[in-house]
Amino acid sequence: MRKVVLLLVLALTLSLFVLPTSAQLPEFIKHTECEVDLTGETITIYHFGDISGPYAFITQPLLAGLADTIAYWNAHGGICGAMLTTDNKDTGGNPAQTQAHYDYYRALEPKPQLIVLYASGDAELLRNQVAADQIPVIISAGSVEGLYGEDGQTPGWIYATNPLYVDQLGMFCEFVGANPAEFPDPVIAYVSWAGAFGEAAFMPEAIDYCAEQGVKILPEPQYFRPTDTDISTQILNAVDAGANIIYTNSLASGPALIAKTLNDLGLLDEVKLSGVNWALDTSVGLLGRTSLADNGLPAVNGMYGSLPFRWWSEVQHPGVAFNRELATANERALSVQNIAYILGSTLVDLYHEIYVRTVNRVGSLSAITGSDIKETLDNIDYNPLDMYNVNFANGARRSTTGNRIAQMFFINATMTGPATSGDDAMKIPNPDGTNIFVPILVPRTEVQDVPDLRPGN
Amino acid sequence: MEALQKFYRENRTLVTWLMVAAVFIVFYLLTQERLNSLRPSRMVQTTITGLLVGGVYALIALGIVLINKASGVFNFAQGYMMLFGGMLFYSFFSTPNVNPLAAGALAFGTVLMVLAMNGWRELRNLRSLGIGVAAVVVLTLLMSWQGEDVRMLRAIVGGITGSVFVGLFIERFTIRPLIGQPLFTMVLMTLAVSEILKGFVNLIWGSVPISLQIFSGLERLGLPNTIRWEAEFLQGRVVVRTDLLVTFFLALAAFVGFVLFFRYTNVGLAMRASAENQQLAQSVGLRVRVILAVAWGITAILAMLAGVLQGGASQLDLNLPFVAFSAFPAVLLGGLESITGALVGGLIIGLVQDWGNLLYGNQAGTELMPYLVLMIVLIIRPDGLFGEKRIERI
Repeated sequence: MRKVVLLLVLALTLSLFVLPTSAQLPEFIKHTECEVDLTGETITIYHFGDISGPYAFITQPLLAGLADTIAYWNAHGGICGAMLTTDNKDTGGNPAQTQAHYDYYRALEPKPQLIVLYASGDAELLRNQVAADQIPVIISAGSVEGLYGEDGQTPGWIYATNPLYVDQLGMFCEFVGANPAEFPDPVIAYVSWAGAFGEAAFMPEAIDYCAEQGVKILPEPQYFRPTDTDISTQILNAVDAGANIIYTNSLASGPALIAKTLNDLGLLDEVKLSGVNWALDTSVGLLGRTSLADNGLPAVNGMYGSLPFRWWSEVQHPGVAFNRELATANERALSVQNIAYILGSTLVDLYHEIYVRTVNRVGSLSAITGSDIKETLDNIDYNPLDMYNVNFANGARRSTTGNRIAQMFFINATMTGPATSGDDAMKIPNPDGTNIFVPILVPRTEVQDVPDLRPGN
Repeated sequence: MEALQKFYRENRTLVTWLMVAAVFIVFYLLTQERLNSLRPSRMVQTTITGLLVGGVYALIALGIVLINKASGVFNFAQGYMMLFGGMLFYSFFSTPNVNPLAAGALAFGTVLMVLAMNGWRELRNLRSLGIGVAAVVVLTLLMSWQGEDVRMLRAIVGGITGSVFVGLFIERFTIRPLIGQPLFTMVLMTLAVSEILKGFVNLIWGSVPISLQIFSGLERLGLPNTIRWEAEFLQGRVVVRTDLLVTFFLALAAFVGFVLFFRYTNVGLAMRASAENQQLAQSVGLRVRVILAVAWGITAILAMLAGVLQGGASQLDLNLPFVAFSAFPAVLLGGLESITGALVGGLIIGLVQDWGNLLYGNQAGTELMPYLVLMIVLIIRPDGLFGEKRIERI
């Protein structure tokens, strides 16, 4: 009997080393159980994006989120014992570099089973190539062309972890249409950055769908560049055409500049500002302090936008708490604790689930192919760090569908809710002599499915 | 076909002007309807904004012209020199307690580069060394002066010191070794320098956009954020941003300063002579190497000023250098060697961009119109509006 007990204890002890399980990670993370031991193996997250170019201010916090979470993951058993590592390549926002890095990746032996991309333009460029090479790609969000091709009906090998941009605009129109007291006679002007990302939501399908919701979208969009100092001409073009809502598919300085311009022109009371999920970001709130409205709060106060995941201000949520602890432990600045950091951290958890499911089915890490990963992605239904739901409808869709409409406010001095004026706002003195207002996002709707506004639907 | 070619050769000027006239007629026909629908306030607003934004383009263009005048090199690194200078300024502006050691190191490096402009042998000169030590002490004290009240002074001194160091460093270690090589080599080197500066900015300050609050002091001085003008004939309101106005006048002041510098100072005159013919200038005793170094130092200060003004009016981030793309057509439009041309070119580009946006939207202004205007001007005046006509006998 003693021998049996000893053997059992020995077996149990060994199993702790041989079969590391996700029990070592926080309990709220509900992974599929590992059936295959991957100890000694390495899983590489191949990522290439604009690390040093125009979009770097988003990519850098993403890399921070990835690095912090990977370090945490590896210290807590990795993925079934396999250690995670990253291979980051910088495109500098240059499509030629995107192509060069992709050529490098696809020439690797064995070639990557999964790649992470960032820019809509990159997805559009590589859509056919990744399909031909059978390398699935995860992107944070994308355009119809990148995910479904020019006809909008051909799902490719690229999967987005946020709703399609055009679908987000459609959902905002639903919200506007359902709140006529807040948005009387709504007319939206599309004022955005030029390029694949900025222009992605302005589609005939969105205009038609919004019209069905009682919301008019002006047929002439107004575009500007991230480098522009003044966009009063574009804003006045929109207002003269009858707009009382501005929708933007831009981020960081983009929405901040629109709000500043509205403030300078004295139009803040007449025109409401709204935007894509990236518009409701910490960076917008922090940059927005350059322009204070009459109430003493940054001009971006009250901006509407999509919020497809949990946010930093939802402090009671375990996934948010996990991110906060991680960022604090790694001494990440407030400006880094943004949307991209969340995407970086949740990406690691998503990788975990994808690989566990795939390796359980295939039997070993080395036997996994891109097609196997694609099969997993097609059938996945998982909430990375419980922050959002990833479900591609059995392969029918290429982007997530859950979304909320939220508003950006600034927290009050007692930290009990949004400030009503600059006087009762929490203000953190900045070394440059100004005050930092702390942005918070307040959801206005529950999570619901976005409309499917792909062409032909 | 031959007859057509013959007609063109014999009537080249007439054909050129006819083409220009045709462009203007097409332009008028395309814009007539839109122009008629515009309120006067929109036209005034667009004109003022365009000119104000053009002020920064002019400042960037001036830096490019300066290097071109001194060495014949088109400096593609101007955009990243702007960003680097702006970031240096920001560091001193937003750090109340600058480490005296760091400030001292920067002051020492800059003074060393200044003393060694004509070669390292200059360091043997005891008088120069004495002045250098005094300069290091003064600069260190100013740059590490603690307190929030002196942040602007600290930032100006720190920004200028750092920028001069960068400018002289670039000249000494990347441009000077290429003297005697084809100009194209130096132009390519400026591209390499821009990549290096980009790397350093990423390394030191990261890529998160930075809000440079230099104009927040305007309110404390009692100046409003915007100036609003309403009149019956305008049929609306014209709003002018105070920060853009200040930026414009600072840019204008810099221009006046440099025009006077080139016209009335020995160094300025020497730079003009050197730009005309380096060998001839050297033969009459001008120290061409020093002149080239001074040009890079001044250009770096100009770039810093443009970076600070542009960064203050928007923000400091890795997009900032792309503003220089708008200054490139301004330089060509005004003429590669002309300081007046840089000013006029910058203002025209700003104006054309905003009017393009007003009339056509869809980025016609920012992307298309400047180059369209540039093309038309270059057809009529291949050397730019104020460029020097050069005749080369072959």
